[in-house]
Amino acid sequence: MDFVFIFQTMKTLLAAVPMTLALFFLSIFFGGLLALLIVWMRVAKNPILRNFAKGYIFVFRGSPLLIQMFLVFYGLGQFGFIRYSFLWPFLREPFVCAVLSLALCTAGYTAEIFRGGLRAVSVKEIEAARSIGMSGFLLVRRIIGPIAFRHALPAYSTEIVMMVKSTALASLVTVWEVTGVAQRLISQTYRTMEVFLCAAAIYLILNFLILQAMALLEHRLSQHRRAVPRLP
Amino acid sequence: MVHEHSADPAAATVNRLSVRNIRKKFGSLEVLRGISLEAHDGDVISILGSSGSGKSTFLRCINLLEIADEGEIWVDGEHINMVRKHGRNVPASSKQVDHIRAELGMVFQSFNLWSHMTILQNLIEGPVHVLKRPRAECIAEAEALLEKVGIAEKRHAYPAHLSGGQQQRAAIARSLAMKPKVMLFDEPTSALDPELVGEVLRVMRSLAEEGMTMLVVTHEMNFARDVSNRVVFMREGLIDCDGSPAEMFSGATSPAFRQFIGNFRG
Amino acid sequence: MWIIEVLGFGQQGWGGLLIAGALMTLCVTIVALLLGAVLGTMVAWAKLSGNRVLSALGNTYTTVFRGVPELLIIYLIYFGGSGAVTAIGRYLGYEGFLGLPSFAAGALAVGIISGAYQAEVYRGAFLAIPKGELEAAEAIGMHRGLRFRRIIAPQVLRFAIPGIGNVWQLSLKDSALVSVTGLADLMRTSQVAAGSTRQYFLFFIAGGCLYLVLTSLSDRLFNRAERRANRSMPSSLGHA
Ligand SMILES: Nc1ncnc2c1ncn2[C@@H]1O[C@H](COP(=O)(O)OP(=O)(O)O)[C@@H](O)[C@H]1O
Ligand SMILES: [Mg+2]
Repeated sequence: MDFVFIFQTMKTLLAAVPMTLALFFLSIFFGGLLALLIVWMRVAKNPILRNFAKGYIFVFRGSPLLIQMFLVFYGLGQFGFIRYSFLWPFLREPFVCAVLSLALCTAGYTAEIFRGGLRAVSVKEIEAARSIGMSGFLLVRRIIGPIAFRHALPAYSTEIVMMVKSTALASLVTVWEVTGVAQRLISQTYRTMEVFLCAAAIYLILNFLILQAMALLEHRLSQHRRAVPRLP
Repeated sequence: MVHEHSADPAAATVNRLSVRNIRKKFGSLEVLRGISLEAHDGDVISILGSSGSGKSTFLRCINLLEIADEGEIWVDGEHINMVRKHGRNVPASSKQVDHIRAELGMVFQSFNLWSHMTILQNLIEGPVHVLKRPRAECIAEAEALLEKVGIAEKRHAYPAHLSGGQQQRAAIARSLAMKPKVMLFDEPTSALDPELVGEVLRVMRSLAEEGMTMLVVTHEMNFARDVSNRVVFMREGLIDCDGSPAEMFSGATSPAFRQFIGNFRG
Repeated sequence: MWIIEVLGFGQQGWGGLLIAGALMTLCVTIVALLLGAVLGTMVAWAKLSGNRVLSALGNTYTTVFRGVPELLIIYLIYFGGSGAVTAIGRYLGYEGFLGLPSFAAGALAVGIISGAYQAEVYRGAFLAIPKGELEAAEAIGMHRGLRFRRIIAPQVLRFAIPGIGNVWQLSLKDSALVSVTGLADLMRTSQVAAGSTRQYFLFFIAGGCLYLVLTSLSDRLFNRAERRANRSMPSSLGHA
């Protein structure tokens, strides 16, 4: 084992971790917001909204993220109305394109996960809320949302790990996050195994930390399902 | 004794609850076929009837969880406005629906506590978020209510950690926290093990003694006879007969009701 | 109608190549799924074996290959594999660089990933078999091999079909990443077509649509398989 090389590699790769994290958090945040909108349309009575959401989910879950990312990165610049719009200074940034496509994609998956959570909300608990005069947004915010989110949490954790991995694709549109830097190191040094192990360790630790945080959240939000009540 | 229609609209304004000629269909099934009922302040009305006679649907129509196709409802003198659409009633204002529901307490057979909230959170949810009252005040009142129904020590427990009887008492307290004008009970003890029925009935009895106006769908004959001041017998979507407990249980009633209570005596 | 021309099957058209790319994608995914089935069975068995070392190995496999970016694994197999092949070549007297064929590298990489997910599917399916059924098989004197063949395997397969369907969809999309090795799959062909005609939008949309055709057709296939497998047990898995 060449510890000097491994140490150097680790240092180089760790310098790219902030980029990976930035991609991850921004896309989870915007993807989550978009997912809420999509799931709201998906369960709407209006057939236009509902079918739009169905189509959205079908397209973004049914095709590879890479082709979506290339479509955003190479495809958008082709249109004059985008090239000459005020958005272009943002949209020609690889980082923005990467976040945009990651968020669009995860929104499709997350919307389905949230919908699964919604289906788990019992009609009776909703009825009890209606019977004391709750309706509309208040009902969603206080009763339906919290119950659905709790049910969706395990599946959502899985999706979040998928997103950590998906940030790697940003390297293919020239964003230098961990996997991109690892690839550059491999092609410079041909020491594939060492570089792989370093990069893999970084991702596994990231996953571990994120999953721990999710587990903590789940633990806090599922007191009502555990056998022993917490004493006041 | 056959039910009489109170034709005086002025009477409706002084009653806690007036229901006039309610009809409800599910598809082609006519579940309520014209029901009228008045509840004065402090009335405790027991509604009896065999399964499928429309008792639950009746309560749900009053609380607007179902919208009756026809008929009129006043709650504490306030008329619930309806508009006709495709030959049936639709509430004119969803604001009024929420407001009326907040004034009517509803207790369900299956408790329907919110599983992700503690008992105390269940109680203050409505007062804080629907009535928009100060949280500290709501907590103080909620704790007093929990004391009253005898589960004060469970205030930080989650519904799943309570017995059925305790859950139902919590659900009653949750309704009371809204300071309702009328309480509606839909078979509140039917989902309970026999040894837990008593604790819930005791709470309901003390409510009645305090003068709460109550409509109680129940199969507890003793409660109907001893606690309520009026008994209504429903059959096939109609009020078959009604009267004071003394009249109703003396035997001089309709043959259907005699047969109904006969089944209960075994 | 230049769109029809560039997407068509004529001289100037990329239609034929795109279809060929889609078939290549399908081939990579099928090989990867089969490879993953073999690996997944072994890993699931290791995890269920009760042997500490084996189950630790199994856990490491599934944690690493489900937790590390697919792209990184493809690099590992492609560059690492090529390095290994070159070393073997040198040992046999051949000087110079030998590359691992990109099809083999791609199918291997996607297969390894697929195996990690399939292992979890098979493990879950095994645990879903009612314990009583296994005891009943033992009680009538079935020995291990027979029990596996007659009771366990068919049941696991039945419970696993929806999971395998999900893994297939995952692998189909992962296979797009194999394009980085230069394999002329659907992703790579769309990219080349887009680059040489400068019609990026058009070709990535076209490629994306072909992927949607692949995923939705295979989805239908798996649904049908699931219904068939559950024919004998109408109530066991709830509604169809
Ligand atoms: N939402 C509904 N849709 C269709 N039919 C219903 C619905 N709710 C109740 N019913 C029918 O209405 C009839 C009366 O039901 P219900 O009011 O629950 O009776 P009870 O409470 O007296 O047992 C029953 O035949 C029931 O099947
Ligand atoms: Mg009922």
